[in-house]
Amino acid sequence: MTTQERRDAKTGYLALSPWMVGFVVFYAFPIIATIYFSFNEWTLAEPPTWVGLDNYVRMFTRDPLFVSSLRATTLFVIISLPTKLVLGLMLALLLNLKIPGMNAFRTIFFIPAVISGVAVSLMWIWFLNPDTGVVNTLLSYFGIRGPLWFWDLHWALPSVAIMSIWKVGGAAIIYLAGLQNIPAHLYEAAEIDGASKWSRFWRITLPLLTPTLFFQLIIELIDAFKIFTEAYVITHGGPLKSTYFFLYYFYEEAFRNANMGYASALALFLLVVILSATVFVVRTSKGWVYYEN
Amino acid sequence: MRIDPARLSASEQLRRSTRQRRARKLLGHAIIYAVMIALACVFMLPIFWMASTSLKLPRELMAWPPEWIPSNPQWGNYAEAFGKYPLARYMLNSAILVIANIVGALLSVPVIAYGFARFDFPFKNVLFILMLSMMMVPGHIKLIPLYVLYLRLGLIDTYWPLILPSYFGSPFFIFLMTQFMRTIPRELDDAARIDGAGPWGILYRIIIPLCRPALTVVVVFTFLWTWNDFLEPIIFLRDYDSFPISVGLAFFQGRYSIEWHLFMGATLVSIIPILVVYFFAQRHLIGGLAAIGIKG
Amino acid sequence: MKLLNGTRILVLVSLLLMLMLSIGSAGAQDTVTLTWWTTSGRDSPEPAIRNVIAAFEAEHPHIKVDVSIMAEGAYNDLMSTAIAAGEGVPDLAWYWSNNWLPQALDITDRLDNDPDISRDIFHTEYFNNWVVWNDMVIALPYDIGANFVMYNKDVFDDEGVPYPTADWTPEDYIEIAKALRNEDKRRWGGDRPRGPFRALWRNMGATNPYSDDSTTVEGYINGPESVAAYTWLWDLVDSGATPTPADLEVLGTEGTGPVDLFIAGRLGMATLNPGSMVSTLEAGVNFGVVPEPRVPGNENWVHGWALRAGIWKNSEHPDEAWEFLKFWNGPPGQRILMEQGLGHFPPIPSLLAEYEHADTEWYQGFLTVLDATQTASWRKDHPCWRGAVIRGVRDAWDLIMLGEIERDEVQATLDAMVEPGQAALDECVPRLGG
Repeated sequence: MTTQERRDAKTGYLALSPWMVGFVVFYAFPIIATIYFSFNEWTLAEPPTWVGLDNYVRMFTRDPLFVSSLRATTLFVIISLPTKLVLGLMLALLLNLKIPGMNAFRTIFFIPAVISGVAVSLMWIWFLNPDTGVVNTLLSYFGIRGPLWFWDLHWALPSVAIMSIWKVGGAAIIYLAGLQNIPAHLYEAAEIDGASKWSRFWRITLPLLTPTLFFQLIIELIDAFKIFTEAYVITHGGPLKSTYFFLYYFYEEAFRNANMGYASALALFLLVVILSATVFVVRTSKGWVYYEN
Repeated sequence: MRIDPARLSASEQLRRSTRQRRARKLLGHAIIYAVMIALACVFMLPIFWMASTSLKLPRELMAWPPEWIPSNPQWGNYAEAFGKYPLARYMLNSAILVIANIVGALLSVPVIAYGFARFDFPFKNVLFILMLSMMMVPGHIKLIPLYVLYLRLGLIDTYWPLILPSYFGSPFFIFLMTQFMRTIPRELDDAARIDGAGPWGILYRIIIPLCRPALTVVVVFTFLWTWNDFLEPIIFLRDYDSFPISVGLAFFQGRYSIEWHLFMGATLVSIIPILVVYFFAQRHLIGGLAAIGIKG
Repeated sequence: MKLLNGTRILVLVSLLLMLMLSIGSAGAQDTVTLTWWTTSGRDSPEPAIRNVIAAFEAEHPHIKVDVSIMAEGAYNDLMSTAIAAGEGVPDLAWYWSNNWLPQALDITDRLDNDPDISRDIFHTEYFNNWVVWNDMVIALPYDIGANFVMYNKDVFDDEGVPYPTADWTPEDYIEIAKALRNEDKRRWGGDRPRGPFRALWRNMGATNPYSDDSTTVEGYINGPESVAAYTWLWDLVDSGATPTPADLEVLGTEGTGPVDLFIAGRLGMATLNPGSMVSTLEAGVNFGVVPEPRVPGNENWVHGWALRAGIWKNSEHPDEAWEFLKFWNGPPGQRILMEQGLGHFPPIPSLLAEYEHADTEWYQGFLTVLDATQTASWRKDHPCWRGAVIRGVRDAWDLIMLGEIERDEVQATLDAMVEPGQAALDECVPRLGG
C-alpha cells in the first residue's frame, strides 16, 4: 500500500464510521439476538431455555402453517411483482409525455404511495366491501354480481395484490427518473434512421432502462416478501389461509401466542429466503441489465 | 371556382401541412389527456370514496343505495375528529420528527456515500452489499432488543429512538447517494485538490452542492417514511401529547367499533403536507432518482 | 492561570447538576410515581381517564400516576415487547392476553384484607372467570363485555314479525332471519356467529373443541354436538338471510360485529356488545336486547369477557399500585368512567343499577343476559384454544361460511380437522404448561 492508498483507506473508513456504528447497534445486535432466541424455547412466562435445533426441526418437518404461509407469500410475490413492474413502466411512459399539466398528473398518481399502511388497508376494506363498496356498486349497475373480494376463496390474494398495484405510482416515479436519464440524441439518431416508435422503445428505451428495472425489481421483491399489514388489518390470513403471509405468521407467533423462540426461527428463515431470492436476481442480472458505458 | 391542388402555392401547401400537423398534435394531446384523466379517475376512486365517507353520518355509512356524494354533507365531522383527539398537535409532532430526521439524514448520508463513492479500501464491496442487505430485515425483529437498549439508555418516551437511526444513514439513501456521486466527474475533485482542498473540503465545497437532486430525494422520502412510521412510535413513546399523526389516526379504531367517518377525514387531512412537499420537490426528485440507473 | 477553563466549567456544572438532582430526589422521597398504561376509546375518553386520576391524586397526595394513553392497536405490541424484554413493564397495565397472566402480581390477600373493597361487590361471573387464575386473584375486572342479540324493532314491525324472546331456539333464529330478509331493501334478517364454541355452540351442548384435560381432539371437534352446531351454521348460511362473511368478518374486528349495518337498518338482528347499544341509541334506532338462542334443556350461556387491570409482579410500589387499582376498578373510579365515558359498563351490579337508561326495556334485557353462565377463555379450557388450536381448525369454519361444502359433508370436514387440531394442541400444551 502506498501512502496515498493508506490515506484513502483511512478517509474511507472514517466516512463509513457512522454507518458502521449504526449497523452494529440497529442491525447486527438485533439480528444476533434473534439468532440466539431461535435456539430457545421462550414463552413470556419464563426466561428462554436452550432447545438446540428443535425450532428448526419443527419448522421443516411438521408445521403445516409454515407450508401454508410460505405458499401464500410466494404466490403473492409471483402475482404482484411482474404486474407491478409492467404497469409501473407503462404508467411512467405515460407520465413522461411532454404535455402541459403533467406535474399535476404525476402528483395524482403518487398519492396512493403516500398513505400509510394501516390507513390504506382500512380504506380498502371500505372500498372493496362486497355490499356497499364502490367496485361492486359499479358492477351492479351493469347487472354483475361482484365477488366477495377479501373474503372470496379465489379473490382474496388477488385483492391484496390489487391494493399493492394501486401504489404503483411510487415505482413509476423511479422509472420516470430512468426515462429522463436516457440521452435525447439517441432518439434523434433513431428517428433519422426511420425507426418506428415501437422499435425505438424496444431498442433504446427498454435496454437503457434495465438498470432502473433491476433496482426496482430488487426493492419490490424485498417489499413483497415482507407483506404483512394487509393480513394484519384486513384478512387475518383467511379465507382458508389464502392470505396467511409469512410475516403475519411470525407476528402471530411472537406477539399473540408468546412463542418468541419459534417466531425468531421463522424470522430468520424469511431473511434467508429474501436474501437467496435477491442473490438469484443479482446473478441473472448480468445477462439482461445493460449499462451504457 | 375549384382549386387545382397542383396549382397551390408552395407557401399555401406549407401552411396546410402545418395546420394538419397542429391538428394531429392537438388530437394526440386530447387522446393523451382523455387517457390520463380516465386513469386518474380510477386511481382516485378509493380516495374519492374516502372523502365521500368522511362527510356521512354513522347511519348513512352502510345505507343502500350508497350515496356517491352525500346529500347532507357533514362538514362537522372534520371538526369532531380534530376535537376528539389532539390531531393538530400530532401533526406538529410529526413535523418535528420529520425535520429532525431530515437533518440527520442530510448530515450522515453524503458522508457515508462519499466514502463508498470516492475511496478504495479493503472489504469495500462486502460492506456495500452488507449495507444493502439490511433493507431486507423485517422491522418487527428489532423491537425487543432495541427496547432493552433504549430503556437502559433512558431514552424511552423521548424522540431519540425515532430520530437517532437517521444520523447513522439508511441503506436506500446511501445507495442512491453513492450512485449519484459516481456521476460527478472526478476531475472536479482533482482540480480542487490542486487548489489545496482536503478530502472533506472537496466533499463540502464541490460534491454536496452538485448533489442537490439526490438530496431532494433524501428529504422527500425521509419526510414520507417518518410521517407514516407507526411501529416504532408505539413502542418507544408514552406521552399522550407526544404521538405523531400516524399513531393519532389509530385512535379511531376502538375496541368495539371503528369511527369510519372520522377516521377517513383525518387520514385525508394527514396526507396533505406530504403532497404539498412532493408537488414542489418533484422536478429535483426525478433528477435525483435517475442515479439509480447508473452502473454501480 | 485562567480561573475558568473548559474542564473546570464542566466539573462545576456537573457538580451543580448532581446537587440539584439530589435535592430533587430528597424532596420527592415521600412521593411515589406509578406508571399506568391504558387505552382510550369511546368508553373511556381521555378527559374521563384524567378525571379519575385527578380524583385519586387528590385523595392520595403522596402518589402520582404517570399515565400513558395509547391507541387500541398499539397496546398488544407494546405490552408483548415490554414483557419479553423483562423490564420497562408499567406498575399497572391491562392483562388482556392470557399469556401475560404469569407476569401479574397475586393480589388475593390485599383484596381480602382491605376494608375499602371486597370481591363481593363485583359481578360473580366476571370476577370468577376473568381475574381468578390458578386460584389466585391476579387483577380486577374493569368492564362488561358480552355478546347478545340486538334486534331492530322497526324492521320487525315492517315485516310483521313478532319480537324474539329469551327462550328462543337456534331454529327460531333461522326462521326469523328468513322472515326478515328483504331483497328490495337490501336487508338481511340476522348476522352469523363470529366464532365457534362460544355461547351458541355451548347453548347447543357443544362445550369445547377438545377434552377437558386438554389432550384429545378426536370425538370433541367432530363429536355429535359439535357436528350439530356446525350443521346449524351451514343451514343459516344456506338460508341466504345473512350478510356475507366479508361484511361480518372484514368490517368488524373481533367482538365488534356488524354495528354499522345494523344502524343503517339493513340487518334485522345482530349479535353485538354493550358498546353497540350506545352507538345504536345515538343513531336513533329503536332496538331490543335478547340473549343468544339455545336448545331447550341445555344450560344458558353467554359469551362474556372483561378487561382486567393488574399490577406487575416486579413493581417497586405494589402498595401504592394497589391503592390506585382499587380506586380505578372500584366504585369511585368506575362511577366517573360510567358517567363520563360512552358505553362503559362496570362489572359492579350496584353501579349498573344507577345507569342513566336503567329503566329502559333494552337495558333490562341486557341485564338479564348477564345472568347466564359465561364462556370464559380458561374455564375447562387451555389458553392454547385461542391461539394455536382455533387457527388449526379454522378451515372448517371458512368452508362453511363460504358455502363451499354440502350439508352432508360437515361431518367429514370436521373429521379432517382432528389432525391439525391435535397437532396444534400437542405443540402448544407442553409449551404453555398444563
